[in-house]
Amino acid sequence: MASWIQRFLLTGCCLVPLMVSAQDDDPLEPIVGTDIERRAISEDMLDSENFEIGVYGGVLGIEDFGSNAVTGANIAYHITEDFFVEAIYGISEANKTSYELLSGAVELLNDEEREFTYYALSIGYKLFPGQVFIGSNTAFNTHFYITAGGGNTEFAGNRYATYTFGAGYKFYMTDWFALDIGMRDHMFSHELFGETRNTNNFEGRMGLSVYF
Amino acid sequence: MTKTGKTLSALVLAFSTVLALPVNAGWFGDDEPLVVTVDTAYIDVYSGPGRGYPIFHALEKGERITLLKSRTQWIKVLTDKGTEGWIKRDAMLATIDATGTTPDFADSSRADAVDGSFELGAGFGGFGGADSTTLTLGYRFTRNLTIEARYAQQAGRFSDSEIIAGGITHQPFPDWWVSPYLGMGAGSIKIHPSATLVDTEDREDSVLQASVGAYVYLSRRFFLRLDYTNHYLLTTRENNDEVNEWRVGFNVFF
Repeated sequence: MASWIQRFLLTGCCLVPLMVSAQDDDPLEPIVGTDIERRAISEDMLDSENFEIGVYGGVLGIEDFGSNAVTGANIAYHITEDFFVEAIYGISEANKTSYELLSGAVELLNDEEREFTYYALSIGYKLFPGQVFIGSNTAFNTHFYITAGGGNTEFAGNRYATYTFGAGYKFYMTDWFALDIGMRDHMFSHELFGETRNTNNFEGRMGLSVYF
Repeated sequence: MTKTGKTLSALVLAFSTVLALPVNAGWFGDDEPLVVTVDTAYIDVYSGPGRGYPIFHALEKGERITLLKSRTQWIKVLTDKGTEGWIKRDAMLATIDATGTTPDFADSSRADAVDGSFELGAGFGGFGGADSTTLTLGYRFTRNLTIEARYAQQAGRFSDSEIIAGGITHQPFPDWWVSPYLGMGAGSIKIHPSATLVDTEDREDSVLQASVGAYVYLSRRFFLRLDYTNHYLLTTRENNDEVNEWRVGFNVFF
């Protein structure tokens, strides 16, 4: 019994150094250094940062209903270095029309109907990538982008199919934090004044985006 | 050192050990740097994740770089000297990792996209005479079958409506560049007649859907989707309604 245990332990002791030296002989060892654990690397191990989420605020000109503050949120997925898809959702509130103001008593819409919300799903294209310099040593990445898409607008108790076109400028303070200055045009037609009217509702906006 | 000083320094030491421990261990488990060695004459380093950004540095053969993160087809790297920049994903094929092999950055293809993944889609089209917007969330549970939740809004001249439905689609040839599918589903449709019409009431009906369409592979994880759906509305009135919808949209797999 004792000799069996001895043999077992001895074999173990002899084998361990053998295995270690076998590893030392590996010709690739000097290239990559000894302090790194040997591990095959695959793409899944790398953190990908293709999503972008942001908030924005600005001014929305609702045709016939004045210029109004708008706030919104956006989420985007970057498919390639050129293309991305984007979803935006914004909330605003329509002012009174000139007619309502002049006539004094007429109210075309009640408070609830004045609420203006929209969403749009768009595809975007990034163009003119580059850098801007602040001082002589600091550079920031920037690019322009254009978007085209569609969605819905809810306004005056109705829902309107809406086409949305936009453009903007992205200023990257870091790789994952960007300032967005842009504009969107939300186009839809309504019949609030009796006949069909195609409206352009321009929005100027500024927002912050985080990539994750 | 006074007694208080000793106690304080011991406390600080203990506290810093406690603080240092999780940092070393990594909050999120696998925190080891991904290090590769350049195995080609040079690799260009760009200032941003795009081909239009300036190249400001070149990695030399034999240089060790740490991979930090990726965005689309670009990888942010850190050199041993502390330079950070972006290299093309394709450049990974010209590096070797600690095992002496090229890292596994194989081109994801349609075959990768169709294996046990979620897909998010958006589409636009015509629903009868109305404009429709559709959002879908799918889960591919076999190579050919996808279960899908669908939410659609329609804006028409005389009424707005929305549909919530669930369905299943079958793609007989998921590897094809243009991959056709058949689908069916069921759900409910809520119809709100236009507020400008008088004396209207909202109504809610069940709807059955039969669809035919195709996925067109565009790029990594990104598909164009064409769809034609026949909606059969089981109304509470004398006749059931039938509405045909065509739709074009895009789907992202993740």
